[in-house]
Amino acid sequence: MASPQSHLLQGTLDLLILKSLALDELHGMGTSRRIGQITNSAFEVKAGSLFPALHRLEEAGWLTSSWGETETNRRAKFYRLTKTGRRQLQTESDRWERISIAMASALRAT
Amino acid sequence: MVSHLRAFWRNIFKRENANEDLDEEVRGYLEMTAAEKVRCGMAPELALREARRELGGLEQVKQRVRDVRTGVSMDTVMQDVRFAFRTLSRNLAFSSVVVLTLTLAIGANTAIFTIVNGVLLKPLPYPEPDRMLMLWESSLTDRNLGTVAPANFYDWREQSHSFEKMAAIDPYPDFILNGAGQARRMAGAAVSQDFFSLLGVHMALGRDFLPEEDHPGSNHVVVLSFSTWESLFGGRSNVVGSLLRLNDADYTVVGVLPRNFSLASKASDYQSRNRFDLWTPLALPSPPEAWQRGSHPLCVFARLKPGVSLLQAQADLEQVAGNLQRLYPSDDKGRGITAVPLAEHVLTGVRVALLTLLGTVGMVLLLACANIANLMLTRGASRQKEIAVRISLGASRSRIARQLITESLVLAVIGGLMGLVLVFVAVPILIHHLPADLPRTSEIMVDWRVLTFTSLLSVSTGIVFGLLPFLQSRRITPNDCLKQGGRGIATSQFGLRSALIVGQVAVALVLLTGTGLMTKSLWELTRVSPGFQTESILTARLSLPPNYTNANVFGTGKHPRISLFQQALLDRVKRIPGVQSVAFASYLPMTGVDNSWAFYIEGRPPRPQGVFDVANYRPVSTGYFDTMRVPVLRGRGFDPGDNENTALVVAINASMAHTWWNQQNPIGQQVRFGDDKWRTIVGVVGDVHHEGLGTKPEPEMYVPYGQVPNVEARPMIVLRTSIEPASVTRDLRSAVSEVDANVPLDQIETMTQIVYGSVAESRFRTSIVAMFALLALFVAAVGLYGVLSYAVSQRTREFGIRMAVGATRGAILRVVLGKAAKLVSIGICLGLVGAVLLARVIASLLYGVEPFDVATLASVSTLLAAVALLASFLPARRASRVNPMDSLRYE
Repeated sequence: MASPQSHLLQGTLDLLILKSLALDELHGMGTSRRIGQITNSAFEVKAGSLFPALHRLEEAGWLTSSWGETETNRRAKFYRLTKTGRRQLQTESDRWERISIAMASALRAT
Repeated sequence: MVSHLRAFWRNIFKRENANEDLDEEVRGYLEMTAAEKVRCGMAPELALREARRELGGLEQVKQRVRDVRTGVSMDTVMQDVRFAFRTLSRNLAFSSVVVLTLTLAIGANTAIFTIVNGVLLKPLPYPEPDRMLMLWESSLTDRNLGTVAPANFYDWREQSHSFEKMAAIDPYPDFILNGAGQARRMAGAAVSQDFFSLLGVHMALGRDFLPEEDHPGSNHVVVLSFSTWESLFGGRSNVVGSLLRLNDADYTVVGVLPRNFSLASKASDYQSRNRFDLWTPLALPSPPEAWQRGSHPLCVFARLKPGVSLLQAQADLEQVAGNLQRLYPSDDKGRGITAVPLAEHVLTGVRVALLTLLGTVGMVLLLACANIANLMLTRGASRQKEIAVRISLGASRSRIARQLITESLVLAVIGGLMGLVLVFVAVPILIHHLPADLPRTSEIMVDWRVLTFTSLLSVSTGIVFGLLPFLQSRRITPNDCLKQGGRGIATSQFGLRSALIVGQVAVALVLLTGTGLMTKSLWELTRVSPGFQTESILTARLSLPPNYTNANVFGTGKHPRISLFQQALLDRVKRIPGVQSVAFASYLPMTGVDNSWAFYIEGRPPRPQGVFDVANYRPVSTGYFDTMRVPVLRGRGFDPGDNENTALVVAINASMAHTWWNQQNPIGQQVRFGDDKWRTIVGVVGDVHHEGLGTKPEPEMYVPYGQVPNVEARPMIVLRTSIEPASVTRDLRSAVSEVDANVPLDQIETMTQIVYGSVAESRFRTSIVAMFALLALFVAAVGLYGVLSYAVSQRTREFGIRMAVGATRGAILRVVLGKAAKLVSIGICLGLVGAVLLARVIASLLYGVEPFDVATLASVSTLLAAVALLASFLPARRASRVNPMDSLRYE
């Protein structure tokens, strides 16, 4: 079942995850909700894409994780941006902004 | 980077922890989703189910995470390998058959490749071998190549312009080494200056010959081979400057060749020997003398100047040849020069044979692959369910494919390793039994090329026969398989498989027939009476030094020193305990040396110009016929009265008597050789198979040693003993050194060894063909087993139904065996046609066996049928044991 979300541009999901963790550490569920929130529910990230991405980013050294308690006293794994992750977020955001401006002007051109 | 390494470490070595973590994490997510839904007012059970649906499968999510982990590929490879080992060891019979087939096929391929590598593929062991040539005198009429006259070599070197270096070797000079204790015969070679530098050889010790040593009078210097250095000087490092007494003259040792030095050559060069003990300068006079254009002993090597092509060099040589034809018409008229690249010279003649051999074993490997693929398919059919289960549990298809390929590769790698073990065992044996005319046998060894070949062969084999089950697995759909119990795969290509089996049976039959014929021929050969009694004879070679042989002139018939020495030695050897009789002969049967002379018969009209009566010439001493037990058929043998002072006599063999006197009595007739003295025929003796057991005896004429017209410098001594002949070796040695310590004694062998050695080549051929035949038989049996097993596995249900409606076990057995019988008998029929064709081809190699030997054909067909029956019986029995209830309920 092909949904629009499954065709996210390569790297978009990574950028969204990094952005969602920019303020505070979050667990998987929290990340998913936060992405929904900051994209005005345009993107709904499924567990099947979320967890592989989280683990991939952690192995890349951009995230780090630790076990902790949720507000409902449930054990969960929390993800946090590392220093390189924050740098990566900066680079990726800049790049994305350039692309979106360029795309927007391209599409507006007659 | 660091984080990757850490992740890799964790994923590989702390996988359990990582997996537990992952499980808890994803499970937590699921529960949180469900809890959220409950908070929104959903019933808990419904909420959990809904959350699960949204998640899309707990296991699948976990698997997707595992798939992105660093080191995952390595992880799954290890997992696959472990799993493969488990699966394969559970089905040990299957695995052993596959591994054994592969061991034999890969082993045979690697063994043959090792030979091909050493002989054909390795570059010649010299720097820039591509620039090295051999130069030959060639006849302008028939293009035959020949060795070179020293004076011609001298002129070639002076007048040509294309070569950086040109050098010659005279492979004939032998030396007698005197000195401490018993004299020794040394195989020598005389080489012109630049010979070693042309080959690019650096001495292990000392130096090469100097240019000024390549002149008559200053050439008493010698370079030792590595083994001579070890045996004469015990590997002493200060050997340079030592003196050697050779042929009663002093030679100074100037250098020692490296251990691995070998002269690239064909066996036909240098009279079958390229192992020289020592080397001296050729020392050609400058300019050479006129007679040195008349004899042609030299082999000439040349190294092209950089950038000069073979064609240019040939054109250059043609000009030189033209000059010589004009200047020396009596010797060089009609004589050209031909340049042949060294590698081509060495390898022509063996390249095609070796590549054919490699192609043949390659075919065997392909057949083996096909059979194993069949076996794999059989197993694949019964594993469809397992695979279907794994797919529905979240295994991707590529993962399944990788698993199947891994299993094949594990089998192939085990087979390859065991094949390699086989090669390490077999290659030394093979080298030992290689035909003598194969060049470069010393360079045959297992090296990195061989190891690479084996690895590539194993891996590609594994992929080839692993591909089929892989393709089969792609057709599996979990739903169908799980619902219906898995009879979904179409029995396609059964015809192709049957054709394959028919072909394999046919090939096996052809090879078995070849083996049968050759074995029978070998047996016939060893039953041939050689014309003398082989048992209890010891032989050895004596080499008479120059002071024995110099005192004679051709044709005088008087050799007082030699006669005295021989008489003294005969008397001394006769006193050795266990020696019954002793004699000398110049050319012993089956030793590979021979000589034939033209002769004239008194009272017969002269033959036309250029036509001669020729017979083999055999100088022997008194007592030879007795010692060898060659029967005297008519007249008498030689006695001590036949010496230089009495009337000249000759004895001829039955073939000679028959050829020239037919029914008449030759006794009393007279013949003469080139020395113009008439000799009376006093006896006719039995024929001897001189060349070998398989060749027809030729006309021979025996002359008593005391009356030979020329000098026999290398007589063989022959002893008949009443005890084990080899046990008198020590006594023989001391007898010779008592009589004259300066006479070397070597080549000590029993006649039994000599005769055994004379059929070595035939035995080697037979064992090679036998090896292939057994391999082919085994491969065909495995193939038949595989195809029938597959067919049975496909028809289990049908057999169940048949039995349910009343078929007996015997009937089922007959159905399967009948199928096998059909395939095998077609194969045998085709094979018989092939065998008859093959027999025609190998007819020239056979002795005493008709190519169309009914007994052989019948027995190999029976053998093949028996093996085939055995191979088919196992699957047939499996079919007959099908429990009808099980097989029907199974569906």
